[in-house]
Amino acid sequence: MQENYLAKWLNNELTEAELAEFKKSDEYASYQRILEASSTLEAPSFNVESALEAVKNRRTLQESKVVQLKPFKRFLRVAAAVIIIMVGSYFYLNTLNDTISTQYAENKEVVLPDSSEILLNADSEISYSAKKWDKERNINLDGEAFFKVAKGKRFTVSTDHGTVAVLGTQFNVENRKGFFEVTCFEGLVSVTFNNKETKLPAGTSFMVIEGEVIETEKPNTTTPSWMNNESTFRSIPLKYVLDEFQRQHNVQVETRNVDINKLFTGTFSNTNADLALKSISVPSQIKYRLEGNKVLFYAENAP
Amino acid sequence: MNTNKKDNVCEEEVYSNLFRANSKTVFNYIYYKFGNEEKAYDAVQEAFVKLWENCAKVAPEKAKAYVYTIANNLYLNVIKAEKVRLKHADKVNNTNYESPEYLMEENEFKEKLDSALDALPENQRTTFLLNRIDGKKYAEIAEMEGVSVKAIEKRMHLALKTLREQIDGI
Repeated sequence: MQENYLAKWLNNELTEAELAEFKKSDEYASYQRILEASSTLEAPSFNVESALEAVKNRRTLQESKVVQLKPFKRFLRVAAAVIIIMVGSYFYLNTLNDTISTQYAENKEVVLPDSSEILLNADSEISYSAKKWDKERNINLDGEAFFKVAKGKRFTVSTDHGTVAVLGTQFNVENRKGFFEVTCFEGLVSVTFNNKETKLPAGTSFMVIEGEVIETEKPNTTTPSWMNNESTFRSIPLKYVLDEFQRQHNVQVETRNVDINKLFTGTFSNTNADLALKSISVPSQIKYRLEGNKVLFYAENAP
Repeated sequence: MNTNKKDNVCEEEVYSNLFRANSKTVFNYIYYKFGNEEKAYDAVQEAFVKLWENCAKVAPEKAKAYVYTIANNLYLNVIKAEKVRLKHADKVNNTNYESPEYLMEENEFKEKLDSALDALPENQRTTFLLNRIDGKKYAEIAEMEGVSVKAIEKRMHLALKTLREQIDGI
């Protein structure tokens, strides 16, 4: 009898002789009976279609898990946009100028990257590019400031009236509405006004009022008077004096029947408003009335 | 285009057909091994979900072997603890002619067969039942179990031998 003959028998692979021999054996009837009984066996029921349905449901569940990657992608998109904006604004802000300004009745001292110093008078503003400072020393000025420039490359002060260029010196620039004055206290300053260059040696001034160059007397101080908390005027129309008073004392100035083009020569205090009002009104022969934050100048013979 | 579709398990139709053709056998296969319907059902689910996840990598002709491998691996460390219960279909034609004594003896024999089957080693039982109930050829069972046809023949032979010995009370 060959190996595994029972398996061969089930598969009808026995030779006739083997089969005949097997049938004669005592066990044959038992095997035959096992075969018969087992042929009616059934496994537990299994519903293929409902199982398929369940598998498909689970599939979609797991697919939806994969979908969860998408919010991350969206997050990446947002993050990329934010980074671009941040990098962009970083470079944009880098090109922007640094700006320093003062309010009424306020002075400020600014030290530039090359240790040049700027003193800002009241209601003034300067701006410059700190990044490009090594390449070009350029200051945009609106208002009045005193400059103490460190020796070095050309230093330029740009105003809407004209530009002031120096190599290293101390000078004052006042750039107000309709009024432009440059005073050199040390060294040599070059002022360009209406494309015309004027050299200012130490101790001289250059003044423009309403577009007209005005000859001025030589200043007899080494620093502008406002740095000593005073404002000094020599034959300046009254309206610029009053404007300056308004800036220094943060008091709103109004006039009635007063000739504001009358020239004024004198000095007023930048710290004591009462004293300053007297300093202005007495020589000009006008009266004033101070009410809170407002002052009214009026002619003596008017009501 | 058409041949492409038939070649891809990711195609819904190909996948569904594979499921219909093989899920019942996977179910029975695991049930014969462990006698637990729940485990068998889970094995079907697990195997076919895995097949879907890897549908692009598994060729349709390899899908059958793939699901058996997954189902098999799922319970590698499970030791059979439950009784394998199988139903005996009634032989409708014969019932009327059988004497009560015969029926009683027949039932007794079936009970003996059941307990003998349950006592068989797992691999012998699985092989025997896959062949007797599911009509699987030795070659197919060999593929499912990952062994040679000769090994399956051996299991079959031993299964029959052990069953007879148990039933005849040797």
